[in-house]
Amino acid sequence: MKIDDLEKMESEDVSSLSSVERRNFLKIGFAVTGMYLGGSVLSLVSVKNAHGASASGVVPELGKYPYNPHYSMVLREKLCIDCERCKDACVKTNNVPSYGFRTTILEKRHSLGEDKYETIFVPVLCNHCNRPPCVRVCPTTATWKDEKTGIVVMEPSRCIGCKTCMAACPYNARYFKEEARTVDKCDFCFQSRLSKGVMTPACVEACPADVRVFGNLADPASRVSQLVHSPETMVWVLRPETGAIPNVFYINS
Amino acid sequence: MKKLLMLMVLGVFLLTGALLWASGDGQEQEEYDEDTYGPKDPIIWVKPVKSVVFEHKVHTMQGGLECDSCHDDLFEMEAGVAEENEDFTMKTLYEGGYCGACHDGSTAFASNTRCTACHIGARGQARLLGADGATEKTH
Amino acid sequence: MKGNNTTTMPTSSVTVPGNKLMWLSLFLIFIGVAGAVYAQVIGHHHAFANTREMPWGMLIGVYAYFAIVSTGLCLLAAFSHAFGGNQMAPLANRMVWLSIITLLGAFTVIGLEIENVWRMPLGVILHPNVTSNIWWMGTLYGIAVGVMFLELLLILTKRYSIAIILGVVAAITEALANSNLGSVFASLQAKPFWYGSQLPIFFLSCAVLSGAAAIVMFTHFSHLLQRRQMATDTFQGLQTAGKVMVLMTFLVTLATVWKFINAYASNDEMIMAADSLFKGPLAINFWVFEIGLGLVLPGLLLAITRLKSISVMTAAAIMVLVGQFFSRFNLVVSGQIIPSDYGFVGVPQYLPYTPTVSEYLIVVAGLGVVGFGFLIGERFFDETFRTSAH
Repeated sequence: MKIDDLEKMESEDVSSLSSVERRNFLKIGFAVTGMYLGGSVLSLVSVKNAHGASASGVVPELGKYPYNPHYSMVLREKLCIDCERCKDACVKTNNVPSYGFRTTILEKRHSLGEDKYETIFVPVLCNHCNRPPCVRVCPTTATWKDEKTGIVVMEPSRCIGCKTCMAACPYNARYFKEEARTVDKCDFCFQSRLSKGVMTPACVEACPADVRVFGNLADPASRVSQLVHSPETMVWVLRPETGAIPNVFYINS
Repeated sequence: MKKLLMLMVLGVFLLTGALLWASGDGQEQEEYDEDTYGPKDPIIWVKPVKSVVFEHKVHTMQGGLECDSCHDDLFEMEAGVAEENEDFTMKTLYEGGYCGACHDGSTAFASNTRCTACHIGARGQARLLGADGATEKTH
Repeated sequence: MKGNNTTTMPTSSVTVPGNKLMWLSLFLIFIGVAGAVYAQVIGHHHAFANTREMPWGMLIGVYAYFAIVSTGLCLLAAFSHAFGGNQMAPLANRMVWLSIITLLGAFTVIGLEIENVWRMPLGVILHPNVTSNIWWMGTLYGIAVGVMFLELLLILTKRYSIAIILGVVAAITEALANSNLGSVFASLQAKPFWYGSQLPIFFLSCAVLSGAAAIVMFTHFSHLLQRRQMATDTFQGLQTAGKVMVLMTFLVTLATVWKFINAYASNDEMIMAADSLFKGPLAINFWVFEIGLGLVLPGLLLAITRLKSISVMTAAAIMVLVGQFFSRFNLVVSGQIIPSDYGFVGVPQYLPYTPTVSEYLIVVAGLGVVGFGFLIGERFFDETFRTSAH
């Protein structure tokens, strides 16, 4: 090939890439270097994580959401300061007993060399998966995905307490609430707020640092949609290798 | 011959031990003086949010600040006063108040970065207070 | 008392020792159920050692244990009945009964373990979930126990040709139920140490192993209880069961070896879970009971004695049954022992789990049901058990 021919070819530098292509390219880069998740996030298989994320994409393409509204939450991880106002609000709003939680904050340490480390707080809750393992395993359909909103809901009167859903959940999002004789879980405050016209979950409202962003992913104008679909933003989910297709996304910007 | 060797080995052990002991002792001797450096125990603010840590040691002994660098202009000397102020918020910090006087991005890291350096959270507070909140048993 | 024994009334000989044992088994059921009621009153989260992170414990293992024994017995019975002419045929009628009672033992344990058992009968009918392995498992085991009762009735009334058909239906139903039980664990991607397509087959292998062990043990017990010499064809039947045990201890050992090799060739979570058995908190359970006592020792004993001695075969059978008990426990716990959020601050490498008194009492209830059922069988169906006609 001659120099002239080379010049006629399409440039391979990033300037000619569409934003989506650039994003995919970046993902691969991060996946390869293992930086994608900034270490391992819940999953112990970071390579698999990265692969799951970059090959299939953890965020479905715009317009490919099975529900409308397709409720989801975006967690701006680095901003979380573990003040636990979200937990308190959740407990109050949903009558969560002292031994349980619907949402909680995990803490991880990211080594900065020597004895120094950076603390990262990770809020976790039900991921309202598109392919929820808990729903599949329930023998009495006491839990299901709400047809309109995609929220994974519980019907306490049907729960026989076999706890298979708890074993099946990759996110430790379920617990057995003895008082109600049922497995209990986050429902994005569907019962306590959304169904009564209050359009944010209690934890979102309580967060002073704007960590938790809630909204309809299927609406391109919504903040959640814009956050996860902005080309420069790295988006990750927890334990993508389980194939559950979670609807709780994590970002740092 | 064997005895001599034994003695030498023993001697080396003793010498090393003494040196190590002495160096350990040396570090101990550099005592934290509360009159010079401020209270030894970390201050934990729980308002307006749980839980933010401030350590005098880091700022005075290690950072080289004097008492009057902050007292009483930025902070009252009395503990817990700042916490009660309406304006003890991140917004004030961004505008140069309280910690924001130095934590502005030039003197020290900016207040809107590295959140968890000071915000140790409910978990961090529980750990500092001895109750090991991190290993709480959940049902 | 011995003078009371007559050859024409074989059932009378069981009365006195049988009576005592029957009261004992009823007592076991009583204290077991009492423990379960206590647990229900104070709440399972206080009474059981299970947690949010480890929702399943010993009782799920014991349920699986009894269900697996039942499946093994049912499968072996159907093979003996259906193909006739084989040496295990003299044992087949007893196997049907034992399969029923071990399944009832399983139902007892799971019934006392789950939180709202009263919601189950209507729930599984009114709100079935066909993607749920638990649903299939419960439904199929429920059908199986019904079919087997019917089969028993036909055997008792000597209508053997239909009984054989029902026996085959029961065996297929039990096999499907059992592999659904395997899949309850094996289909959970969230628990990698369980996940995989071979676990249901592993359960079936364990079923054949423990079914063979159960028939050896119970047949020998029956003869001791009835103070009766063992007939040659019965002994030969037990020898065949012994051969099945030798083969299955080998196959189950092999399956276990590959399970571990695969785990160690996998990711961190799999390696840590395998380590929990290999050298972690479950190591004694695993090496001493599941492997040593449950597989290697009985396998060697049977092979060395060449199945000549009924006592050795019974000893090996008991070892297998104890080993299988531990195997189920180990499987249930090792699958959940690595926290899903391992690596976060304050999260231990292994979750703690030590069964509580309430849990042990419910196991006792299950054992009581099986023991009681065995004695009922000795008392009322003895004659049927001794005939191999079908």
